[in-house]
Amino acid sequence: MSDGYILQMKNITKTFPGVKALSDVTLEVSEASIHAICGENGAGKSTLMKVLSGVYPYGSYDGEIFFQGKKMAFKNIKDSERAGIVIIHQELTMIPELSVTENIFMGNEILEKGLINWEKERKRTRELLKEVGLHIDPNTIIKNLGVGQQQLVEIAKALSKNVKVLILDEPTSSLNESDSENLLKLMLGLKKQGITCIMISHKLNEIAAVSDYVTVIRDGQTVDGYAVEAGKVDENKIIKAMVGREIENRYPEHTPEIGEVILEVSGWNVEDAKVPGKMLCKNSAFYVRSGEIVGFAGLMGAGRTELMRSLFGKNMGIFRGGEMKIRGRKVRLNSVREAIKNKVAYVPEDRKGLGLNLLDSIRKTVVAANLDAIKTKGLLDFDKERAASEKYRDSLRIKCRDVGVGVNTLSGGNQQKVVLSKWMFTEPDILILDEPTRGIDVGAKYEIYKLIHELADQGKAIILVSSELPELLGMADRIYTIFEGSITGEISAKEANQEMLMKKMTITA
Amino acid sequence: MKAKKAVSLLLATVLAATMLTGCGGGRGTEETDQTDETPDDAGEEKPDDADAEGEESEDEETGETPSAEGGIVGVALPWLGTQNWAEAEVMFKEQLEAAGYEAIIQAADQKVPQQQQQIESMIENGAQVIVVGPVDGSQLGSVLEKAKDAGVYVIGYDRLLENTTGVDGIVQFGSVKTGELQAEALLQGLKEQKGEAPYNIELFGGGPADPNAPNFFTGAMSVLQPLIDDGTLVVVSGQTDFTQCATADWDNSKAQSRMDAILAGNYSDIEIDGVLSPNDGIARAIITSCENAGQPIPVVSGLDAENESVEWVWSGRQYSTVAKPTNALVEETVSIINSLLSGSGMPETDVTANNGMIDVPVYELPPVVVTKDNAKEVFADDPDRLALLKD
Amino acid sequence: MKYVKKVLGEDLRQYTMVVALVALIIIFNIISGGKMITSSNFQNLLSGNAYVLVLALGMLMVIVIGQIDLSVGSVAGFTSMVMAIAARQFNLPWYLAILIALAIGTIAGAWQGFFLSVLGIPGFITTLGGMMIFRGGVIWISNSISVPVPSELKWFGAGYLPEWGPAFTGMNNSTLLLGIIAIAAYVIAQMRKFAHSGDVTGKKEEFWPFAVRIVIVAAVIGYATWLFGSGRPGTSFPIPGLFLMILIILYYLITERTSFGRHVYAVGGNKMAAELSGVNVRRTYFLTMLNMSVLAAVAGILFVGRSTAAGPADGTSWEMDAIASVFIGGAAVSGGVGTVIATMVGGLVMAVLNNGLMLMGVGADKTQVIKGFVLLAAVAFDVYNKKNKG
Repeated sequence: MSDGYILQMKNITKTFPGVKALSDVTLEVSEASIHAICGENGAGKSTLMKVLSGVYPYGSYDGEIFFQGKKMAFKNIKDSERAGIVIIHQELTMIPELSVTENIFMGNEILEKGLINWEKERKRTRELLKEVGLHIDPNTIIKNLGVGQQQLVEIAKALSKNVKVLILDEPTSSLNESDSENLLKLMLGLKKQGITCIMISHKLNEIAAVSDYVTVIRDGQTVDGYAVEAGKVDENKIIKAMVGREIENRYPEHTPEIGEVILEVSGWNVEDAKVPGKMLCKNSAFYVRSGEIVGFAGLMGAGRTELMRSLFGKNMGIFRGGEMKIRGRKVRLNSVREAIKNKVAYVPEDRKGLGLNLLDSIRKTVVAANLDAIKTKGLLDFDKERAASEKYRDSLRIKCRDVGVGVNTLSGGNQQKVVLSKWMFTEPDILILDEPTRGIDVGAKYEIYKLIHELADQGKAIILVSSELPELLGMADRIYTIFEGSITGEISAKEANQEMLMKKMTITA
Repeated sequence: MKAKKAVSLLLATVLAATMLTGCGGGRGTEETDQTDETPDDAGEEKPDDADAEGEESEDEETGETPSAEGGIVGVALPWLGTQNWAEAEVMFKEQLEAAGYEAIIQAADQKVPQQQQQIESMIENGAQVIVVGPVDGSQLGSVLEKAKDAGVYVIGYDRLLENTTGVDGIVQFGSVKTGELQAEALLQGLKEQKGEAPYNIELFGGGPADPNAPNFFTGAMSVLQPLIDDGTLVVVSGQTDFTQCATADWDNSKAQSRMDAILAGNYSDIEIDGVLSPNDGIARAIITSCENAGQPIPVVSGLDAENESVEWVWSGRQYSTVAKPTNALVEETVSIINSLLSGSGMPETDVTANNGMIDVPVYELPPVVVTKDNAKEVFADDPDRLALLKD
Repeated sequence: MKYVKKVLGEDLRQYTMVVALVALIIIFNIISGGKMITSSNFQNLLSGNAYVLVLALGMLMVIVIGQIDLSVGSVAGFTSMVMAIAARQFNLPWYLAILIALAIGTIAGAWQGFFLSVLGIPGFITTLGGMMIFRGGVIWISNSISVPVPSELKWFGAGYLPEWGPAFTGMNNSTLLLGIIAIAAYVIAQMRKFAHSGDVTGKKEEFWPFAVRIVIVAAVIGYATWLFGSGRPGTSFPIPGLFLMILIILYYLITERTSFGRHVYAVGGNKMAAELSGVNVRRTYFLTMLNMSVLAAVAGILFVGRSTAAGPADGTSWEMDAIASVFIGGAAVSGGVGTVIATMVGGLVMAVLNNGLMLMGVGADKTQVIKGFVLLAAVAFDVYNKKNKG
């Protein structure tokens, strides 16, 4: 019956009131393989995994799940975990104030006469950490770990539960390149031990690197499946299957019209507010011209975001000297408000955490950074507010029923468009975009790229911070590399390639 | 969507309905019987009453004199947390209903805004007389004036109603007299139990927010001060001012800490002979404090004849208390109500007290000192307390 | 249902509490045999609860920024006691005494705001300290004795609008005038809205929903005018109610139509995002706490005016009534959510409940229990609704 498959989901259909989220989806996963699932946001990947892990209990969906040849009827997550299916969510679910050991055995403590046996737990933790290649003290408090390390702890936790199928939901989305690579290696290691991995991912290069099989889901249906041979995958084919159309070029064509220097920064020093003596920015100097898109490449923690936020009204770290000129005029921006007044805008990397008030509607968000623009006689004018939001809804093609709906009802791509609208409404000259396409599906990315080009064509100076080197190479006109707070290189995008950039991002020039 | 909305509405209504039926059972029915006539009565009575305010009694010209039968009387009590107020609630209910009135009795849980609203609701309910045992006698000004404007008589019960023109009379035990009695009982006890003068004593006062408290103290000091001056009595701590001796909110625990501090600071090598205490709760706190400090039990006065203290007096731990029989106070109040609702107006009285705005007629009752010697006589008609006097 | 939505707007849930309020009033009126809906009772309702509703206005903003203020009762008690002492012992005229009360409220608010915004001590702790400090302060400066206030102040807490003009109206003409102004203002606002309705979308809205709204609101205001105005001669729409109305309009404008109001919601919804949008978070915290204490002083003045004396226990547990009103009005404990109007409805639900139960002769003990259940039911209902929305 099982035919070498450890897991078979057959003809799964799941409907929510009014919406068919999954329709007749079939997924077959071979034992000890790495199986990638890709699809646009909202295609149904997460719903499928929730069905598998018992978040949606047996009976709330149609279809059958076979695991190791047996028909399964999970009532909740505990059931599926007991069977050996563990899911690691995109947002990590560990308790930051507790230790690694405590987190790994949370809800699963090793008890003796009703009391926790710490010695045994720590010993086991040490073994598990070794397995995932993490060399830290089991007593380390989670919040002191980096995101990549936390993810490894999550996997260690899964291993502690005797996992047979490990589901990773966009595991590398918040990791930098080296952590991502580390994680992919670990997945290959787990595969050797006979553990099956299901990986949900947008990143086609990762899929090519590790997976054995790819299933593409679109609009709640399985549209395609490919075996990946010897690390090769036809990216265009997958993209076509995902979006239902062929994207000729992932980055739109653009010819820059570069003008005068708008922003010039020199000798910029910022100290970490939490770790005295640690410099976040060391003597940084760079410039951006009008109509130019300048990329900033650097690993997570290299100081890209820190540099940008310190420029944006000293929003991060302690300022330790430096000069900033806008159109040749020296400016001191001591608050975000002053930065906005001086026509600087910053789109943060963490959209939900820093970019949006999820309780607000689209119209309130769009005008949030420039309330003065919608005032009539000192009071906010709802007509002007509505006009502003309608304008961006049209020009950015924000998909929504009404501009009065909450931003929490929008997809990631549309949310990002709303954030961009908010900053476009401040009419900035200098637009800093920190990871503007993170967690956004391919189609929406393309639209945002086009928008960035339009803004550049309007003569704005654009700074693009990104972890994805292909994105920088595809979008930027000029690229700076950052390593440990220092700017280590400046390369014209035409001459740059990934290897060059990576080198400068990992060693001091 | 439609269904959801309907459910929401239904839920809200059911919610509201259950709340009401849940509590409406108690009194709802009896009260609705009389609603028709009462607001009118109150409204029309107003002009008459406006001139009749003050001491003059009202006479025949009152248009439609409500008979003793069928009047509505509101009783607003501060709370039911002490024995005398709890007794008052029961007695008012019994005696008012026995006299044929409908009684609305509400306690305010020591909250001024609550009491204000309760009095207003009594006016709304057509009360013709409202008896007010105030939480704070000076904070009901505008509400009581509203009652006056609506033609309702207001009788202060046990405490003075200050700072308002909307009060027709006060029924209370003479508070200065009470203080005198407390002081005399203290002196008598000292002579009986503590041998020859001089005697070491300490003084305690009641809660400053209660207008009676300074009066008790004044009464007591009128007896004690001459003896302090001639050296018969020695206030060892030197604290003889009311503000020094007062016990905020009549709080027993505050009195006990003050006594602890006084004993620790002044009585390390001498014995305390007597303490003037304004009420029974404070008296017991004082005695407990002395016992804890290893002192012989001093002669301590009291007030209210609380059950616990009656036992203590009987067993000799507390020398005396002063009974202010709630029953007598309620009876007096009800007799005034009878007079008012039979059209005879406020009864005559010689005593008045200025409440800051007007002179209010005061109906004073004499309190009774209780010691071990006379306890059985005093409580002869009070089976509950008599039962406490076991041998 | 479609037509109802056109009149009332898309989000009908916000009317749940209004429906509950109206239902309560009607049910109480039936049970009490018509004693609920009378001129004098409605006057009582407003003058007896204005101080809580005024506090709730400030508390709403405090809760929206994600904080809590436990000190409001004590601040109200303290400021009004200072006012009473200033007037009685230092013989200051009443208006100076009021100014002093407001000034003290401002200082108290600045004090709390300082600890929250500059030192970053959570509002709960800051104001817990304030609660003790100011409560202790009241007892200290008053020696636990109530202090009568000048009779002029009675007007603030228990006064009525003047009687004038023709008698044939059968009403207090000041109240009548107010009602007419209110109706006119609403009609003008609606007509203007209708005239501009097509400006943005290009599609003019239908007229009839505007007409229906105007008729309904005019009828409600008209009835209220008659109810408040037709009481015993000399009574009218009460002065504390008038102050409350002015403050409601003012705070409605502040929360909905000013940058500061937006900032309050932004800080409560996502502090970091607000900061990155140019909101001065510390300033917003500071001003919100400051505002709360000023309103506490106003509440204290209204209450003391009604009581004719400032008492040492004034304000005890008022903060809880204010907080309950805000939450019944649908605000979120985590901040960012809540409106002025809903808070006022929430406060009125509590007030009507209190008033109705008193009219029925239900004791304070049971009333307390019922109010507790209502608070829980209202919030549970809200949470249930929100869950089923997504």
